[in-house]
Amino acid sequence: MKDLFQYTAGNSVIHRMNPLTKILLAVCICAAGFISDNIFYLLFLLLLDMMIGLAAGVFKKALSILKGLLKVSIFLFILQVLFVRRGTPVFWIITDEGLMLAAKVVLRLIIACIPLALMLAVTQISDLANALVQVLHLPYKYAFTLTTSIRFIPQFMEEMGDIMEAQTARGVEFDTKNGLKKIGLVLPLCVPLLISSVRRTDATAVAAEVRGFELRTTKSGFKKYPFRLIDLAAFLICAALIAGAVLL
Amino acid sequence: MIKIESLTFQYDGGGEPALRDISLDVEPGGFIGIIGPAGAGKTTLARAIGGMVPHHYKGDFYGSVIVDSMDTVENRMTDISRVVGTVFQDVESQIISSVVEDEMLYGLENFGIPRGEIEERLTFALRQVGIEDLRCRTIASLSGGQRQKVAIASIIALRPKVLLLDEPTGELDPGSSRMVFSLLKEMNERYGLTVIVIEQKIMLLSEFAKQLIVLNEGKIYCSGPVRQVLERAKELEGIGVNCPRVASLAISLKEAGCGEMPVCINVDEAETMVRGLLR
Repeated sequence: MKDLFQYTAGNSVIHRMNPLTKILLAVCICAAGFISDNIFYLLFLLLLDMMIGLAAGVFKKALSILKGLLKVSIFLFILQVLFVRRGTPVFWIITDEGLMLAAKVVLRLIIACIPLALMLAVTQISDLANALVQVLHLPYKYAFTLTTSIRFIPQFMEEMGDIMEAQTARGVEFDTKNGLKKIGLVLPLCVPLLISSVRRTDATAVAAEVRGFELRTTKSGFKKYPFRLIDLAAFLICAALIAGAVLL
Repeated sequence: MIKIESLTFQYDGGGEPALRDISLDVEPGGFIGIIGPAGAGKTTLARAIGGMVPHHYKGDFYGSVIVDSMDTVENRMTDISRVVGTVFQDVESQIISSVVEDEMLYGLENFGIPRGEIEERLTFALRQVGIEDLRCRTIASLSGGQRQKVAIASIIALRPKVLLLDEPTGELDPGSSRMVFSLLKEMNERYGLTVIVIEQKIMLLSEFAKQLIVLNEGKIYCSGPVRQVLERAKELEGIGVNCPRVASLAISLKEAGCGEMPVCINVDEAETMVRGLLR
């Protein structure tokens, strides 16, 4: 979770795209995955996901997401296989149609998860927020909410760690092997965490206000986010992906 | 520049007033140090000057605070902050962006600084604070002290008329603390900024500030030029404000019957004084 939103610096083709193009590309890959019913096309999309990861220099991250999805995928696959009753039986109660459908569901799940995570890994959230404000004229308040909440994630995790350490120092057994017991110990900590986060959010609000939060308009950004040739190419790819999904 | 008249403030839900009957006058170009024991109302006073009290922190507000001929109650916090640049005590929560450069740009963009001027101001502020090399780093990768410097730089880039800092050296090592104070002195002397700084390190304050204000239990205990305040070192220790040892030295010598002598504010002065006595 902590490094889910961690930016990976670089200067690849993907990095240089407009933040909005990156998100559009990710959304189009997801959409193509859901529209298409062709298993080969789904496999192609999965391959495309990994290629993007390779091109953007975040292949390791793509692999780790893939690994993370493995358990859920296996569970989903078994469920589908057991519950689909149509088609000709292959082995015991398992049918060929069941296997096919299960494979597609799993592929779709993976295809839907990877692109957005990868794109966020190669996009600064502040760039995304600025682009949303400048290009799509999203009210700055919402963009600020987006950036602040993502910036706060590591801070809150740090804080949670601090609270847990303080409690461990006073003899609370957070290292217990009993999962249920651990949940029972961690839950009460949500109260101090909530209080400190509200306080912190309040302080951040003041800090933003004294630096002209209320004066910010869509034209305020120093960095500009024009669409370039590379973005045009990405748009074409997006259109091709959707067309492919519909036609194949 | 800043005129406070019989200011009394009590936070909503707080039992005792945080500030009682505070009156003070800060001339343009002043360098004021505010000191006092914990709970003396230092931060509340800073908030009142910056307009956070009563706009953000609500409560009963009596008296008046005038900043650059703006009444802080009648004007918006945003307008006051064009004049008063505030660096808060909690560095962690005042950083808004995730990259140093964006953090620096934030205020500049909002206050509508012309594009051509932004780059110059940005590099100026980073150079002044000595963190040019951190420009492209993420905030998460910085140490506490580096974050504090970023917070200070982002305010300096805005070029306010008044620089208000609440314990700006809390996370800094002694060397960096001195550097921050030298920077404040330079901004004060060369660029004519009015500097108001809340600080626990009295040694730094007495060396760099021109005037001291000692707060205790929400009231001004004493105020005036640094030497004048330090002459009351014994009394100040009674309320929990430690004075530099070089200042207490003159007083102890006087008590020991060595005659009248001026209070020293740094080691060099104390050395000259002691040498003079021994001769």
